[in-house]
Amino acid sequence: MNITCQERERIFLDGTPDEWAALELHAVACSQCGQELRAWKNLSVAAQEMREEAESPLLWSRIETSLREQAAVGAKTDSLWQRLRNWRPVSIGWQTALAGAMVLALAVSGGYLYTHRGTESGTGTASLLKSPALREVEKSERVYEQAIEHLEAEAKTQLESADSPLVASYREKLMILDGAIDELRIQAGQNPSNAHLRRQLLAMYQEKQQTLQDVLEIKR
Amino acid sequence: MGSMGLTLPWGTRISTVQGEGDSGLATSGLQGKEGAGNSEDLSIAAACLSGDLDGYERLYRWQGTRMKNLARHLLGTQSDAEDAVQETFLKVQRSVASFRGQSSFVTWTFRILVNTCHDLRRSRVRRKENVQAESDELPPSLEPQAAVTHPTLRLALERALVRLTQHQREVFLLYEVEGFRHSEIADLLEISEAASKNTLFQAKKNLRGMLEPPSSRAREAGR
Repeated sequence: MNITCQERERIFLDGTPDEWAALELHAVACSQCGQELRAWKNLSVAAQEMREEAESPLLWSRIETSLREQAAVGAKTDSLWQRLRNWRPVSIGWQTALAGAMVLALAVSGGYLYTHRGTESGTGTASLLKSPALREVEKSERVYEQAIEHLEAEAKTQLESADSPLVASYREKLMILDGAIDELRIQAGQNPSNAHLRRQLLAMYQEKQQTLQDVLEIKR
Repeated sequence: MGSMGLTLPWGTRISTVQGEGDSGLATSGLQGKEGAGNSEDLSIAAACLSGDLDGYERLYRWQGTRMKNLARHLLGTQSDAEDAVQETFLKVQRSVASFRGQSSFVTWTFRILVNTCHDLRRSRVRRKENVQAESDELPPSLEPQAAVTHPTLRLALERALVRLTQHQREVFLLYEVEGFRHSEIADLLEISEAASKNTLFQAKKNLRGMLEPPSSRAREAGR
């Protein structure tokens, strides 16, 4: 196969092995092609040298820890929702009453969220919160927590005094929710800018608020 | 371009992953050594899909060095590169259920890595409140590494790479440094194979111009 100088660049772009071999032969007699070919190949040689890299002995353990944490958060949330899904009141009558109570609770929660929408807007979409936004979220969370604590104090008597299976069931649900909230608080404390954790925490608070409102509805 | 570097075994396009783990497994992508590479890729993908952390460790031992190397060249520092690799593993874990096997698991992982590097660079630029457009385009110069066989040429190349467009730099690094095939780069960067070849050609032509000694440029002009 005969190669001319004009074909050199085409071969550089997409030459077959045979064309490369022919170019090598041509370059023996053509100094310009020889020089270009050497320069072209030197780039590959230098690029090979760039593969060398510093060791990172601790990187895998760092990655492994974060993978475990992420897996644990996922599993815990899944398991909690599973348990909540399996949780059922004891009778049809109570279920009907609860359904009504939940509608009311949803309306109250919706009203609460509507009135507080200004303080939490934008946090849902940003995956990584910035400091001022983070402060705002933490402040809103504290206010929300205090409001739920007041609700909890109101429902306490009902929860402690009544022995019906429904109340026992509510008690169990609240224990599960408290455990999940504690876990999520710890994780959010370690990784305060993680919006996903914050949303999970908010969901737990909302569930707890709703449950407490359901308990108070029984009293009425 | 398959036999570009005739002094090197480009015919097989095998990348030698150095350091940690079993370098023997390191084919360029997974099409080069169909048997071992493909089965390892499938086996790791299956382990990761089932939530087995051992799958991620195997992926790290197999491709971690290569991932760090690419991230370091895209981001400029070892520390940023390690952050990018860690974030990539977390993203892989979060989205492994969406992996459909349209490409190899390794190629899919590298696509996530490249996107993560883009995100990190963007957030770094935002943090520094650097409004100059070229700051987004040019990565910082690389941290010095240990001496190698051709330190001068390598350093000159690293400096010149910074002056390429981001796309040209990525294709050059993936092909020439990390040993990916054009078909894999096409998949990874979501471009055509021809575009990958063209971009590599342009990148090398630009680098050639940048690294050419001034005297030889003058000689060329005089002819």
